[in-house]
Amino acid sequence: MKKKILIANRGEIALRIIRAVQELGHTAVAIYETPDKDALHIRTADEAIWLGDGPRCDYLNIDKVIGVARKVGADAIHPGYGFLAENPDFAKACEDNGIIFIGPPSEVIQALGDKVTARQIMKDAGIPMVPGTDNLSAGDAGIKEAVDFANQYGYPVMLKATAGGGGRGIRRVENEQQLRAELPMARAEAKSAFNNDAVFLEKAVINPKHVEVQIIADKQGNTVHLGSRDCSIQRRNQKLVEIAPSLIKDNALVDLICETAVTAAKASRYVNAGTVEFLVDRDWNFYFMEINTRVQVEHTVTEMVTGIDIVRTQIKLALGKKLAFTQDDVKIRGFAVEMRINAEDPQNNFMPEGGKTVSVYRSPGGYGVRLDGFVYQGFTIPKVYDSLLVKMTVFGFSWNETVDRLLRCLNNFVITGPKTTIPYYVNLVQDPDFKKGDFDTSFIETHPELINYDDQACEGSKLAHLIAEIHYKGENPYAV
Amino acid sequence: MERIVQGMGITEVLKVMRKADGYYITNTARDMSQSDYKNRILLHTDLLAAPSREEAGYFSLEITGGASVHVDILRKQVDPFLKLELLREKMPKTMFQTLCRGINLFGYRPYPQNVIRFVVKEFAKYVDVWRVFDFMNHVPNMQAVFEEVQAAGKILEPSICFSTGPEHTNEFYVKKVQAILDVTGQEIILCIKNHGGLGSPKRIGDLVDAILQKYPEMIIHYHGHNTDGNDIGRVVAAAMSGAKIVDASDHAFTGYYGPPPILSVIQTLNEYGRKAVGINEAAIMETSEVLQPERKYYEYFESQIKGFDPTVQIHKLPGGAMGSSLEQAAKGGFLDKMPEILHNELPKVQVELGNYWSVTPGSQILWTTAVSNVQGGERYGNCSGDLKNLLLGKYGPFPFYSPPDWIYEKAFGPDWQTVLERDGGMEAIEDIDLDKERENLADKLCYPPTEQQLVTYLQHPNDAVNFFRFEEKFGKVYVLPPSILFRRGGFKLGETIVYKDHTGKEHIIEMGPTQENEDGSETNVYLNIDHHQRHFVFENAVAQAGEAKAAKLSKKEIEDLAKAGDVRAPFTANICEISVKEGQEVKAGEKLVVLEAMKMQTPVNSEVDGVVVRIVAKVGDAMQPGDELVKVKPAA
Repeated sequence: MKKKILIANRGEIALRIIRAVQELGHTAVAIYETPDKDALHIRTADEAIWLGDGPRCDYLNIDKVIGVARKVGADAIHPGYGFLAENPDFAKACEDNGIIFIGPPSEVIQALGDKVTARQIMKDAGIPMVPGTDNLSAGDAGIKEAVDFANQYGYPVMLKATAGGGGRGIRRVENEQQLRAELPMARAEAKSAFNNDAVFLEKAVINPKHVEVQIIADKQGNTVHLGSRDCSIQRRNQKLVEIAPSLIKDNALVDLICETAVTAAKASRYVNAGTVEFLVDRDWNFYFMEINTRVQVEHTVTEMVTGIDIVRTQIKLALGKKLAFTQDDVKIRGFAVEMRINAEDPQNNFMPEGGKTVSVYRSPGGYGVRLDGFVYQGFTIPKVYDSLLVKMTVFGFSWNETVDRLLRCLNNFVITGPKTTIPYYVNLVQDPDFKKGDFDTSFIETHPELINYDDQACEGSKLAHLIAEIHYKGENPYAV
Repeated sequence: MERIVQGMGITEVLKVMRKADGYYITNTARDMSQSDYKNRILLHTDLLAAPSREEAGYFSLEITGGASVHVDILRKQVDPFLKLELLREKMPKTMFQTLCRGINLFGYRPYPQNVIRFVVKEFAKYVDVWRVFDFMNHVPNMQAVFEEVQAAGKILEPSICFSTGPEHTNEFYVKKVQAILDVTGQEIILCIKNHGGLGSPKRIGDLVDAILQKYPEMIIHYHGHNTDGNDIGRVVAAAMSGAKIVDASDHAFTGYYGPPPILSVIQTLNEYGRKAVGINEAAIMETSEVLQPERKYYEYFESQIKGFDPTVQIHKLPGGAMGSSLEQAAKGGFLDKMPEILHNELPKVQVELGNYWSVTPGSQILWTTAVSNVQGGERYGNCSGDLKNLLLGKYGPFPFYSPPDWIYEKAFGPDWQTVLERDGGMEAIEDIDLDKERENLADKLCYPPTEQQLVTYLQHPNDAVNFFRFEEKFGKVYVLPPSILFRRGGFKLGETIVYKDHTGKEHIIEMGPTQENEDGSETNVYLNIDHHQRHFVFENAVAQAGEAKAAKLSKKEIEDLAKAGDVRAPFTANICEISVKEGQEVKAGEKLVVLEAMKMQTPVNSEVDGVVVRIVAKVGDAMQPGDELVKVKPAA
């Protein structure tokens, strides 16, 4: 039966979901704030409803979004990632209003969103975890607990906001003095950022690999994994490049991690698509980090190597369907890499380039390349949202083939107007360590030379710059 | 008949020339570019002409020196050494010639001895014939260059600068030749440098004859300008009297103030039975055929006033300064005063200042003084720093007589005699620390400079650094033809430009649209570079309609402010040096800033004792009269 599905998001993920909704024969309803009035997701959806002037506050306004959903008669809401995606109150509001929330039940989001609860669940299920504390007590008692823990396990330790996520609310502490100083600051910061001042401590795992597992579960109790991903290439805890599957050569270890992820999902009564994140240290120990209760930005790489449309599956499962495949049906073939092409200037500390107009947009094509973007030539990037322009996902049968194709596709990209991360990635994919698959979360900071590129380097282009200036000024200003 | 080729030493050259039945020709392409095109003829054009010029069989091609070294980096953004390298590739046989201003090298004021020697050594690797002069005909001013050229085994061509007037007798010039020979020895070519194109053909013939009477073996090279339209006459007279080399250039580009056409010289002298040795006339014609289509692109740089100027015999401006002087008059809005300046004031100043030779940098001193005398209201009311240095004898002794006392009084006040006694006469310029300069340049460039870069930097520090940065940004632009570099009014939509870059790679550029952004603050210029779309963003100049320009200050007001420590620019000029730092104590009369206008430098001194509290301007800034320079807080 044709359903109406509201997409409570914007940007590339809104488009991604709209496509799946439309492929399933349902009606896609977009919502938008004023700065997104020219955005592609509005044009692509079957209906688009204006929420308010924003910015950001309307996309985050549960009452408004639920109100719109009721008004248009939406059967279900897909939250995408970010915004309200991992807000249990939103999932709860959907449930209370008889709207299907495409994701796990609100109590699962609640439980896994609270890091301490999540750790308890995992501990009970026997999942290996980085040693850590419960939520620290308030005041001096909390400081004592923290210092005792650190003395037992050794520095450095990670001080984390219980309600944090996505790399936010984490600080590394090197010694006791710093721990005593930073704990109250971390609390205050967590309070203002997440409206929850709970913090806890974990042993720091130095330069680990970030390996995560895509899981998917139906309401009938079937849970499977879709293999691993490596998201080690991060800048300040923000992922830049994601790879499926993990390049860890020990297949048994990767299998064990994936099976552990399924156990973790089952232990938390997980339903719908989610991601179990692990850290893998240099001795090949792996530790549970967290479960993300949403579709991930990097879900595309898993789709490429498994052939399974995760968003389509999400919708079907939310509408009550059983998983159409078993664990045995899931086969990983080849390698896929996603690069987040952001409107940022890598040479200027990755400063966002929002507000600029994309004057030229030409994208690569051909075998093995997939683009999930939302910009078009003439589009002005809103200043008020994130800087992701397009995700380029490249597939190859072997790792070498994938790397070759990455370079080719990056070189085929032409985006002018905003500066982008493309020239940085051009250096990155030619880096010997990257080509060997040898990287961990320290990769970006240990490869500062990737920043060295000159996008106007070639002589032809330099002279063209002068020709452009002669044209603009009506004479050669350097000759008169 | 034997052609002179690159690699022949001075002894062999002299031997061949003395035996030769006929005369040789120097193609003074550099002087043609300087005199008639404000030095803008591009390497691109010279490279087009190179193959046929190579075949033409000249004694030499004058292709560097004079003001060209500076203009190469300042306005053409070409490395003066790379230029010579690239031309040499296409012209292995032809001698390259330069024009060097002795102690002033290729600039406008004296350099330290070690800089002179270093610069000459580096250039001598590329330059075979060195024409060297001094505007005071003061031989010691040329000595360091003489020595380095001879040490490098290159051909030395000392010059006697020529002018007219009662003092400029054959006897005087013959004595000068002896003074030169006393220093150089016999193995030289002697140049008669007639930079103004002065005197009649008879006068020039007589001079050549007088010199040859005294030194019959002397190889004389006559250099002239066609300002009055009569240089062929002088060339012919010189050759008929025995000059062995004469200057001329390609007729496709000959104008009014530079050299006469080569072919006309050859044709005329043919009739007199004199043959041009080693010359291939077909190649000379071919050169002009190649060059002809390029001339139109240089039109903007041709003289503001067209036509020969026989009044040069009165005002004596050198051909190389005609174009730039007229340009200054046009830009300064005093073209209407030119008859007054050229026909009355300049000849008067010339006589008052000792009737020395009106050639760089002396010609600039005469010219700026004459302009200032006419424009400033009071004659010698505002003496430039360079005029003061001239009066003090810093450029060398006056050749015939000193200027009258009243001019010294105007320049230095009632105590002028004390000043003259204290500061007068030439002083040795202290050597500078070349290693330290190399480090300074490395700091500015963020990489170690080459020796050639250092040479360029030592001569023109600010302009050299700007040039090196320009190359980093825009690459080597000599590959672009004048039709591109000198395009005015922009390109047409869809116009394609094809060129080979410095590495030999061919590029194609197609012009796209030009668009302003929404608020008009930026303009995007779109281009297809090698079929890839690119765009360049230019910030639009903000129209300052609301901002009233500061009211013009009178000269008196500027002087009064200076006495209160508020130092303003007294005239239109660029800042070439800030001599003080903020917080520095200064005494009255101490130099604060050096201004440069029309290539002449003038220091601005503090009128008061005090402390420098603020430096408003910076090096390179263009100043209008009354613009703030420095604030000095007078001592209590």
